[in-house]
Amino acid sequence: MTHGELVKQDEYVWEVPEGTVAGMRVPGRILLSDALLRYLEPAAIQQVANVATLPGIQRWSLAMPDVHTGYGFPIGGVAAFDVTEGVLSPGGVGFDINCGTRLLATTLFKEEIIRGLDELMDALFEAIPSGLGSKGQLRLSELELNSVFSSGAKWAVSRGFGNVADLQHCESKGCLNDADPSKVSPLAKKRGRPQLGSLGSGNHFLEVQCVDQICASETAKVFGLKEGQICIMLHSGSRGAGHQICTDYLKTFQAASHKYSISLPDRQLACVPADSPEGRDYFAAMAAAANYAWTNRQIMSFFVRDVFEQKFGTIAALIYDVAHNIAKLEKHSVDGESKEVYVHRKGATRAFDKDLSYGVGQPVLIPGSMGTASYVLEGTQQAMVTTFGSTCHGAGRVLSRKSARRSLTWQGVSENLKRKHIAIKTDDRSAVPEEAPEAYKPIDEVINVVSKVGISKAVARLIPIGVIKG
Amino acid sequence: MPKFEFIEHTADVAFKAYGKDLNELFANAAEALESTLVQLQRIAPIEIRTIEMASDSYENLLYNWLAELLVMFEVERFAVKQCKLEITGLSLSAECLGEKIDLDRHVLNEEVKAVTYHNLQLMKNDIYHVEITLDV
Repeated sequence: MTHGELVKQDEYVWEVPEGTVAGMRVPGRILLSDALLRYLEPAAIQQVANVATLPGIQRWSLAMPDVHTGYGFPIGGVAAFDVTEGVLSPGGVGFDINCGTRLLATTLFKEEIIRGLDELMDALFEAIPSGLGSKGQLRLSELELNSVFSSGAKWAVSRGFGNVADLQHCESKGCLNDADPSKVSPLAKKRGRPQLGSLGSGNHFLEVQCVDQICASETAKVFGLKEGQICIMLHSGSRGAGHQICTDYLKTFQAASHKYSISLPDRQLACVPADSPEGRDYFAAMAAAANYAWTNRQIMSFFVRDVFEQKFGTIAALIYDVAHNIAKLEKHSVDGESKEVYVHRKGATRAFDKDLSYGVGQPVLIPGSMGTASYVLEGTQQAMVTTFGSTCHGAGRVLSRKSARRSLTWQGVSENLKRKHIAIKTDDRSAVPEEAPEAYKPIDEVINVVSKVGISKAVARLIPIGVIKG
Repeated sequence: MPKFEFIEHTADVAFKAYGKDLNELFANAAEALESTLVQLQRIAPIEIRTIEMASDSYENLLYNWLAELLVMFEVERFAVKQCKLEITGLSLSAECLGEKIDLDRHVLNEEVKAVTYHNLQLMKNDIYHVEITLDV
């Protein structure tokens, strides 16, 4: 597979033609600029093509501009499937079900916190459990854990970990109603139980950020964002619960794919008809993991808010919370007909053109790599037409973790951050090079492409001043 | 023949494991996984855990075996230094030697979210080999 297989449709759209791999049912579409094309790996093109072979896929197998090689689906992949003819694939969601991002905005400005920044970062590091195998502060009964799985962020709010307004500012109000805790294995519950309210490790983080630039002043006003304002961004998911749920169903689906005579170019694409007992069970369990993840981020927000209240006597409002590893049942227009489809977003973010709570396009939160800018964007009608209401999810890796560790050091990376006046806290210095800006594509170019394609519009640019790396 | 070697993967961790027979292949793949999780030279083989399982193919058996070790690491905090395996037909019985993680003495490496089925294909030329991708 080479770049030569791609057919340029227009400045930012590259097609992977049907026939690139045997059995493709629709073409692939990769959204890229010439500047980002050089980062595109042949294996990622192959994965976009492989997804196009799955039964019931609608229109295109899509990849956002932050695309890179994953396992099964590419990271940055979006694919929608017919509810009766189509499939559900755990590999199209990923192990970290509802890994996502949330943004809180304070009433503080940079100059008010900069002197006490180190103490603030210490307090946040203390309050939010992070790092390898981190555990939360809550001890849940089996019954409570089941409520987390079935009710999501609603459960957290009912227990005092936030307010009802928070739910209006979460994708799907922080709860998928299809969740069924009885479809979650005892092992997944065992793994999830101690970890609720913890960040985890890898690319998960908490950042204290400052609004550096307003790109669309009217929408920024609607979202409540002002230049110089201090915000907090959280990136985490469903922890061991989600990882185990995905593992459990992938095992089941290995055999079930055969049962339904679905031939696969990669075993990680294992899938079953959405309208089958196995499909319905997976969807109910995946929804439970998604609810766990929303609860997880809601509980961490509570502790973040507590720190800001104690230190500055200020409140932090939830701007939004979005998932970027999820499958959703949504209504979209396909060939002029409005129909329900299962949209898989694997390292891609929902970007709907309407958000009822704000009355404008849905807020989209795109984190950059550690030490670089993050963005708040707004979903658009164009996204509804071309990408099943989806956009990118981040910068996208270019260096493997292995080569990042080889070519970069903790000392070098932390000195670079220091030069940019960014404080960093972590339990694991050796892993810091893996998340360095050099390991990722330039976020500004990724945002440029989604803006030019029109699948989301930049509203504000935020730069970090303090990082807790999980 | 190396026991295993790590290979490049943009987002995740991938390795190739080798073995002159299935027992050795499974043990070497386990060592590759454990050394992704923790600095293995500091783990002492002082406690024993036994694992028994069966599956419908060697690939699925290998997947289940690695997934089980990962769960043992996360839930029990038990790291495996070495293991003795006996694979008969599609059944596996293993004695795993290692110890519980003590953060004062041990150094953790990566948090592995899961073992994937990506490109999972058990091959045999003169020796057995397999490629495994871990989601980190």
